[in-house]
Amino acid sequence: MLPQYFRIFRWHVLRDLAQHRLLSSLNICTVALGVALYLAIQIANHSANRAFAATVDLVAGKAQLEVDSPAGTLPDSLLPQITAQPGVAAATPIVTGFVSLPKYPGEYLDLLGIDIFTNEPFRTFQLTDFDAAETFDLQKWLRAPRTIALSEDFARDHHLRAGDQLAIQLNGRTQKLTIGFVMRTHGEIANADPHIAAMDIGWAQELLGRSGTLDSVSLRLTKGANSKMVAAELRKIIPPDATIAPPARRSEEVDKMLAGFQLNLTAMSLVSLLVGMFLIYNTTEASVVRRRIEIGILRSLGATRREIRALFLGQAATLGLIGVGLGMIGGYFLAQALVGTVTDTISSLYILLSVRQIAVAPWIWISAFGLGAASVLLAAWLPAEQAATSDPVQALHHGERLERSVHLSRGWFLGGLTALLVSVFLSLLALNHAPPWISFGAAFFVLAGFSLLTPETISRFSRGLRWRTAERRLAAQNLARALLRNSITIAALAAAVAMSVGVAVMIFSFRQTVTDWINQTLVADLFIGPAANEVAGPTSFMPPEAIRFLENNPAVEAVDTFRHFEVPFRSTTIELAVVRGSNRRNLHFLHGRSDQIMPRFYREPCVLISETFSRRHDLKQGDKLALPTPRGTVDFPIAAVYYDYTSDQGTVLLSEKNFLHWWHDDRINSVGVFLKKGASVKAVTEEFRRRFSNRGEFSIYSNRSLRARIFEVFDQTFAVTYVLRTIAVIVAVAGIFLGLTTLVAERTRELGVLRSIGASAGQIRRLLLWESGMIGLLASLLGMASGLCLAVVLTGVINRAYFGWTIQLAFPWLSLAWTPLWIIAAAIFAGWIPAWRAGRLNIAEAVRSE
Amino acid sequence: MKILAAALAMLCIAATWQTAEPGWKYDFPRDHHGHENFKTEWWYFTGNLTNAAGHRFGYELTFFRQGIRPPNERGSTRSRFIVDDLKFAHFTISDAHRRKFLFFQKVSRGSFGEAGFDRGDEIAWIDSWNLRMSGDGSFHLAADAEGAKLNLQLVPVKAPVIHGKNGVSQKAASAGHASHYYSISRLRTEGELVVSGGRFDVHGESWFDHEWATNQLAPGQAGWNWVSAQFDDGSELMLYEMRLTNGGIDPASSGTFIAADDRSVPLTSADFQMTPLEFWKSPATQANYPIGWRIEVPKVQLAFTIHPVLKNQELVFTPLIYWEGAFDLVGTRAGKAIGGRGYLELTGYAAPLVELNR
Repeated sequence: MLPQYFRIFRWHVLRDLAQHRLLSSLNICTVALGVALYLAIQIANHSANRAFAATVDLVAGKAQLEVDSPAGTLPDSLLPQITAQPGVAAATPIVTGFVSLPKYPGEYLDLLGIDIFTNEPFRTFQLTDFDAAETFDLQKWLRAPRTIALSEDFARDHHLRAGDQLAIQLNGRTQKLTIGFVMRTHGEIANADPHIAAMDIGWAQELLGRSGTLDSVSLRLTKGANSKMVAAELRKIIPPDATIAPPARRSEEVDKMLAGFQLNLTAMSLVSLLVGMFLIYNTTEASVVRRRIEIGILRSLGATRREIRALFLGQAATLGLIGVGLGMIGGYFLAQALVGTVTDTISSLYILLSVRQIAVAPWIWISAFGLGAASVLLAAWLPAEQAATSDPVQALHHGERLERSVHLSRGWFLGGLTALLVSVFLSLLALNHAPPWISFGAAFFVLAGFSLLTPETISRFSRGLRWRTAERRLAAQNLARALLRNSITIAALAAAVAMSVGVAVMIFSFRQTVTDWINQTLVADLFIGPAANEVAGPTSFMPPEAIRFLENNPAVEAVDTFRHFEVPFRSTTIELAVVRGSNRRNLHFLHGRSDQIMPRFYREPCVLISETFSRRHDLKQGDKLALPTPRGTVDFPIAAVYYDYTSDQGTVLLSEKNFLHWWHDDRINSVGVFLKKGASVKAVTEEFRRRFSNRGEFSIYSNRSLRARIFEVFDQTFAVTYVLRTIAVIVAVAGIFLGLTTLVAERTRELGVLRSIGASAGQIRRLLLWESGMIGLLASLLGMASGLCLAVVLTGVINRAYFGWTIQLAFPWLSLAWTPLWIIAAAIFAGWIPAWRAGRLNIAEAVRSE
Repeated sequence: MKILAAALAMLCIAATWQTAEPGWKYDFPRDHHGHENFKTEWWYFTGNLTNAAGHRFGYELTFFRQGIRPPNERGSTRSRFIVDDLKFAHFTISDAHRRKFLFFQKVSRGSFGEAGFDRGDEIAWIDSWNLRMSGDGSFHLAADAEGAKLNLQLVPVKAPVIHGKNGVSQKAASAGHASHYYSISRLRTEGELVVSGGRFDVHGESWFDHEWATNQLAPGQAGWNWVSAQFDDGSELMLYEMRLTNGGIDPASSGTFIAADDRSVPLTSADFQMTPLEFWKSPATQANYPIGWRIEVPKVQLAFTIHPVLKNQELVFTPLIYWEGAFDLVGTRAGKAIGGRGYLELTGYAAPLVELNR
């Protein structure tokens, strides 16, 4: 059978594909796009995770255990004790700090203070003189203040040489570092963020104002030492707000933190592939219908059902494989473009990160290939099966080609309703402690439900309309005649529209919610913080004299302070926000009134937790939160839960009074300034700038400019989402074109008959354009309906399950109103070429068989 | 004449470090302690020991002080990790009987007081390695490492002898390339050694060098050969040859002969002749060391031949590599047969001398 199969395959499939080049290429393109998007998102996600892991490896080195102080308060006097602990073979201290680089806006350096003597067994990079890979001037390293080793990549990218000065901003001051050495990395570590520099730990402590404290101590254990037991012993000598764990835990923690965000991207990228499946189905189905006679002949000549099935699956597979192949290549390149956007978003939402090179694991290639191939075969299976089981006698009978599909089974409608019910059920599950990924099931069943309802809708539309002109009436009837295939076309487009609408509504609602929230909470007139914080997060501190200046300024009514702080909590690290507030700071609470809760918050030992924190850690108002402080672990009552949209990881709010009492740390990251009535924002800003920020050492925002900045970050966050949704819509419009082209091809005979009984070429064209328009209309109506349901799932279920915040549903009515218009326009546009072709039909040829 | 001198060869020296100038007035025991205004300083102990069974051992224990911040830059910083000087030490044991040579290094900032100089009777220490001096003028050495341990009591037999002229030992022709350098050329030594599991009560004789300087080597010097010999007639000899990169010997090379009655005879390069007799190629570094020598010092009617107790007495640290080992000697003094023991140091053979680096 095999050689014969290939011959038939060549004649019947390859030749056919070659004849329908446009169709074939469309199919290939949609599969390619779907696969490319999936692959690109996977690569971008994977690269981000790998870059972070490599950076952890670079910093922690070959450590087996790590004593880590998230707040950077580990006393360095503990080092000899840690080193002398039984089971510890080597220990090396690390102090780190982030600085921003005014000459390179948006860039930063992660400064590592290392001890060259104890660090050697841990080092994963080569430390050498800048110009010579073989030498290292130890005396210069130890003696020269502010002399750093720069990562090779960073130096190369910025054309920096030995002896060059690099201006940095730190704690509201500009300082100069000298480049004296270079850090060379190899292998896996080369994936690490190149924004890294090392210097002697002593000078790093001086520079960062961190004398006496460390961020971490890396440990290597003696042979045969039990890591858990060593950790338990060390636990007894390190302060409660320090942790001890293998360094890999930090990458795991970040992987976990990013998992929700990344899964959402993956899910969105799969929508294109889903739409692509509709198209493959459509094409295969069309070619089955078109070649019923061929199938009949083949079958009567002795071809088996399996061979027929294989023939059509082979056809889909041929297109699919080319598509998958192109998609994999395209995805790889798309990833290069996408990885920057994805990491920018990760940096602004979660953790400072920069990806130097994209990383692709074998499983990414394999999964992209597998998903692409599986979706193609799955989509082609039904039509291929239909071809295989068709009766050769009936197939060879020329009449009644399309009639069979007119009958509408009740099953579609019931199936659709069931799917929607399943969606509701899954939503409830996801909101009640089931794994969050179930919420994607809810979204999927919304799309599936509306897809299954499509045939019923078309059929009602077709029967329900009584048009006066022949073209329109025929067009409406035709929709119902090729019901299944039209349903698929419409469902595909509707799914894309639904996704577009759903995402648009979700983002709009989110934006609206954030706007409301900002209006309540962002009430100060001026916001001032060290410029480095804008790049590196809250790592720099306000000089006390700058705060004093503001407090004593006659135009200033009050100064609110903010301090960011991290402490270990359960098996992870959580963020504390320490505030000294005026009464004007408004929080919106889930339960309780601000004027009762806030005075208690400032007066008593208690904390407030954000809604996301409450969900993530399953803690409620009235529960106790055990926080490790330098004075031991303290149980803080949770006074209330407040709405917050700053971090999906959640925040704990602590008053400055409490913080000072337990932590003895009065450093402040930024301030909010309230001005007296009638005072000029501009005057205070200028005075401050003149005194403290003449070289841009501070970022100063007015209320309005801070809002603008917040929305800038917000929009950047959803940039990738917009890209994905746009591509899905493009794929769907391609689908309309495909659907109509096949429709025209298979209705050649029927159109010929219409022409021969007197229809003009213009009428035929109008007929087809009306059909396209109706497809567009139905798809946009279904898409809108399904999109609104999807929006509910996205905002109320997926966002809540993954990120834990409450988003008030809001609708961008105007842009929603536009949706059907441009979808119908796109549909008519897509129908143009097939319609024009149909008008030029050769009547004699078309009706030859009559 | 020690390894650390190499470190200085290429340093750009701040004027704020004190240099070795003629006219230094030596004062003991004050000068046994540290001289922190000089950039480099070391306390160098080598010795030849035997146990009751007659097994032959050699040891080296040296403490180095390498200045990082000159006096005018000190203070004004708060971090404990910023240090004024770097502490490091080398420790070796040569076990001639079992043909074993063990060598160890410790380097430390001394941020936590785990290393330093001049604390009570401790002259220098790093972790458990230390050099102590008692009120009676005797020294105590202790060091331990994996498979090796040393615990020795040293009592000077001779008074300190000052090398060079007018209190400075010149290392090159130009001014400033010099050190302050004295030796106690014979110390009666007793104590215990642990080598590869074996513990030995030992006795014998040691040699103590103490040298401090700033910028003592000149460019173009490739390394040196240094010899300390203790003869069984109660006399000693110290010689060094500065080897130049062009293959020649620097005329500034010199030495000192110390007679049994403590009278010392300064020697210039014209007064002695060193001829290599035996070479050993290190399998680890491929360096070819001249480990056996014929030495003639006509000025004091001395001629003898050096035979190392082990061929492999090479210290391989990164990137400092040198050969420092115990030897036996036979020869003649004024026509009479003479025996003795000593230590030989050979530097600059494995690689061009580089600054003190890691």
